Amino acid sequence: MKNELYSKLVDLYAGRELPSEMEADMEAAASQDSKLAHDMLTLRTTVDALHNSMDDVEFTEESYQRILMKVYARGVELQQVNSTPLHLQYYLPIQG
Amino acid sequence: MPNDALRDSLAEKKWLTALANGDSKALGGLYELYGERIFRYTYRMLGNRADAEDATAETFLRVLRRSGELRADGAFRTWLFRIARNLCIDKLRQHKLMELPLDAQYGGSEDRATLRVTVQQALDDLPIEYREPLVLCDLEDMAAKEAADMLKISVPALKSRLYRGRRALRDKLGGSWERK
Repeated sequence: MKNELYSKLVDLYAGRELPSEMEADMEAAASQDSKLAHDMLTLRTTVDALHNSMDDVEFTEESYQRILMKVYARGVELQQVNSTPLHLQYYLPIQG
Repeated sequence: MPNDALRDSLAEKKWLTALANGDSKALGGLYELYGERIFRYTYRMLGNRADAEDATAETFLRVLRRSGELRADGAFRTWLFRIARNLCIDKLRQHKLMELPLDAQYGGSEDRATLRVTVQQALDDLPIEYREPLVLCDLEDMAAKEAADMLKISVPALKSRLYRGRRALRDKLGGSWERK
């Protein structure tokens, strides 16, 4: 009976949306129910894979500049509000 | 973090007011605030850097073109993502991106690069109604309410698509998990 309820909560388990006590209860139940265990494991692994594989799409300086150029090319000027001051753009060795 | 959110909110208001007053340079301020998030979102929707750069540039150009509709009422971000979303859908339709090679550039280990390409391919294979909630909620960490507003659907409908999308993605990736 409880496992029926747990099978409906697998989506929440996969997204880590359940309280930890409920997660522990589900994991205990899953140790006796291979279908539930498989569902829980594979779905959570899928969500984790999404996070782990895609969490670092890098917004590179090149992309930043290319987007600016595309906008400039259409006749629009973008004001760079956080541009690094000139004196911080180049490394200057300490004279000594 | 709340300070960052407050600072961003104040900056957003400032740039939106400037833009509404016809200062086209204010667009740069909005690009500083949201350029990276829009780029990441479009990259995940389209799967390659070049198209994501095009879509990001076009998103901000459309903001300028439609600046008469702007209101600094907190809904700007949802509106901005909606513009980006529509552009992504147009691009997916027009260019049949499924036929283009995925951008596999990645600075991490080879295993993670492989995983990334595998997941991106599986994501690209999903119907758009499943892919969107996954990108917004699982990758962009957008709150369910905001994602639902952006997609113009109810929160329960969003959750339903999200859960079905995860299961569909699992089925696409099935072979990989079975081997582990």
